[in-house]
Amino acid sequence: MNTPFLRVRDLSVTFPAKGAPFNAIDRISFDLARGEILALVGESGSGKSMTSLSIMQLLPGAAQMSGSIEIDGQDIVAFRRRQMEDIRGAKVGMIFQEPMTSLNPVLTIARQMTEGLVRHKGLTRRNALTLARTCLDDVGIPDPDRVLSQYPHQLSGGMRQRIMIAAALALRPGILIADEPTTALDVTVQSQVLDLLFDLKTRSGSGILLITHDIGVVAETADRVAVMRGGKILETGSVDDVLHSPQHDYTKSLLASHLTVDRSMKQRRTDREETGA
Amino acid sequence: MTVTTPQTVIVSAVRRRHLPFSVLMGLGLAFLIVFAALTSFYIAPFDPMRMAAGPRLAAPSIQYWFGTDEFGRDLLSRVLVGGRLSLGIGIAAVLSGLVAGGLLGLIAAFSGRAIEAVLLRLIDVLYSFPDTLIALALVAFLGPGIENATLAIAISLVPFYARVTYGLAAAERAKPYIDAARLAGIRSGRLVRVHVMPNIVQSLIVMGTLGFSSAILSAAGLSFLGLGVQPPSPEWGAILASGRNYITKAPWILIFPGAAICLTVLSFNLIGDGLRDLVDTRRKGR
Amino acid sequence: MLVLISKRILMALATVILVIVLSGTLIHVVPGDPVTAMMAQSVTATPEAMAAMRSRLGLDQPVWQQVLIYLWHVLQGDLGTTIRGNEPVAMLLLERLPNTLTLAVSGLAIALAIGIPLGFLAAVHRGRIADTIVMVIAVLGVSIPAFWLGLIMIQVFSLKLGWLPVAGSSWRNILLPALTLGLTYCALVARMTRSALIEVLGEDYIRTARARGLREHQVLLVHALRPALISIVTVVGLVFAYLLGGQVIIENVFSWNGIGRLAIQAMLERDYPMIQGFIVVFATSVVIISMLIDILYGFLDPRMRQR
Repeated sequence: MNTPFLRVRDLSVTFPAKGAPFNAIDRISFDLARGEILALVGESGSGKSMTSLSIMQLLPGAAQMSGSIEIDGQDIVAFRRRQMEDIRGAKVGMIFQEPMTSLNPVLTIARQMTEGLVRHKGLTRRNALTLARTCLDDVGIPDPDRVLSQYPHQLSGGMRQRIMIAAALALRPGILIADEPTTALDVTVQSQVLDLLFDLKTRSGSGILLITHDIGVVAETADRVAVMRGGKILETGSVDDVLHSPQHDYTKSLLASHLTVDRSMKQRRTDREETGA
Repeated sequence: MTVTTPQTVIVSAVRRRHLPFSVLMGLGLAFLIVFAALTSFYIAPFDPMRMAAGPRLAAPSIQYWFGTDEFGRDLLSRVLVGGRLSLGIGIAAVLSGLVAGGLLGLIAAFSGRAIEAVLLRLIDVLYSFPDTLIALALVAFLGPGIENATLAIAISLVPFYARVTYGLAAAERAKPYIDAARLAGIRSGRLVRVHVMPNIVQSLIVMGTLGFSSAILSAAGLSFLGLGVQPPSPEWGAILASGRNYITKAPWILIFPGAAICLTVLSFNLIGDGLRDLVDTRRKGR
Repeated sequence: MLVLISKRILMALATVILVIVLSGTLIHVVPGDPVTAMMAQSVTATPEAMAAMRSRLGLDQPVWQQVLIYLWHVLQGDLGTTIRGNEPVAMLLLERLPNTLTLAVSGLAIALAIGIPLGFLAAVHRGRIADTIVMVIAVLGVSIPAFWLGLIMIQVFSLKLGWLPVAGSSWRNILLPALTLGLTYCALVARMTRSALIEVLGEDYIRTARARGLREHQVLLVHALRPALISIVTVVGLVFAYLLGGQVIIENVFSWNGIGRLAIQAMLERDYPMIQGFIVVFATSVVIISMLIDILYGFLDPRMRQR
């Protein structure tokens, strides 16, 4: 409980290129503990998605990583594929931006939800299915049995994203990486999904690394925030601190371009505290 | 979003001397073959039709590099001149097929809906049949001989070229620069000629080389069956046909013409494939 | 689903009719008088016999009428009679059609059995040695004329080694021609498998599967192979059509008693009714097979099952 579940120190990711190698990520460091939401915010190209992929070692082949990434005490930077296969899903879960294409169109939801459980927890198909049913309930999906027998194309984007979240959290990972989870969704569905993430974090105790370009999302949902730009982290701190007294000019400009930060922040957090979520 | 016509990928690759290795190999091989074919009459050691130029069914030797056939004709000379025949048929068939098919495809893409629907159906139906078979069917009615075979092969390539051209033209049709040109009042004919053509030319070059390979295979097949180039003309397929009965005693009659077909088709396939990969990757975005 | 099937059937029907019409028109492509060409080698070529032939074939009527009559006959199953022996074309062809299809299916099976694993291997190891080797083999394979390979096979396996008989149509005889066809077309199958798999491997859901910590072989065999196979199914139809086309010559090389061999003989003898009949039967077979494959695809891809 004292050591953060995820400790990133001096992480750099470079791509070889003609002339000078390209630094996608330049010596960044941050921590993420269980039960807290750390938002990684920045524009496209800031390196935030790449950070999430490096933690999972899902980078394209040409990338070279250096530094240290400690997950539950183990430094995984030097891990080979087989070792990573044990970490992925079980210790670190991940959900992606595009629910439309992130689920396999030719396999049933049941199959896609249970395979992780069978693989990592050694459950039988039947038990995994029961667990999957419960998880779907937890994310508020009505009629889970029906959904389990369906295929991704039969469901809406919001549903699919919930299923992705359910599948990831079913494995009870220490942390969940959510890479722009709401960007591709309708506005009305966005806050539902964010609420869900917040909810689940409290219930399951997993930490969440929330990658986003939207400062409003940060204000609504996160506990701490790290601002990224050009592969570097410019400032880190609690959401209150950073959003109210930004140190960096860039952070200030990010905030300035988003009008309702203050209101969102105050409103939602009070809502949640009231309902005791 | 450009309103002007983009630079062709192939031309820029050539300029930067950055063609893929397979293309260069193919070009090298093709160059050799074309050169040999063009100069065949000069470099052939014997008259390809001359019987008893050497002993019958003689194995390859210093004198007869490829050996001799059942009539004592020098196989090397026959294969060389056969190359001229095959290449000639190939070029003639591809050029006419490309022009006719291309025209058809363009008409389908830039005429009204009704014409487009009808033509497209027709093209699609024919496209689903193997071209060698179409050529075979046509030759069956036209009669054997080199001209008929060439015509038949040309016609068999038309559905392929029409379909490809239509696809390319339809894709271009959707692009902004076409709208811009239309708004400027440019009419269909000029639109196609000046704006669309340059953009699809490089894809057509690729299709040209691939069609060429196909044409050579069809020509060889037709002649092999006795329906294409007639003996004693030394078309490669025809040589294989006549040598068929002697393949145990004289396997070289089987090996050399066949290898010639193989290498020629291979070289153009390498060029076509390599160029197509180049054009495709650029188009889809890196 | 029903809508899909009925659409396909309608398309197939329309195509077949189109082919019949084309086939009926083809006899007029003949330069000069078809009858003269046909009877050129016949001893009994008297003017009366030729006139009789002309009216039998209906050649003294206007073209469009002939074509319609031909279409009418064909739709009733009458493909005419051969010039050579006055036998019904339909019967001769349908007798041999099973032979042709047996060989074709065997050849296809071999092509798939060799091509799919090779393509799979190349895609998984993309950019590395295995990929290059497979691609080289593939481009060579696509460049080899099938009939040449057939002759080589005969030379090596039948004549030199005496393992297998040269000609005939029993099951033992099927091995060499099927192998020839299979080896020729496996190159095409390998290439297409490779493309399909590469495309699938680039999809987001593969990344998700990996992010779940599934073992790589699970990712490949469960998440990648299935969608790839589904897209390969559409390609199989195309390969099959090409294979049947190549088979026409192969039947000749191996003296395989199928419709291809019959057709070639007819072409050499200018037996036009037989040739026309062959075109119709061949095209109909291809159309039916393509249609069945399309429908199969509709069943395999869950996204299509709804409609």
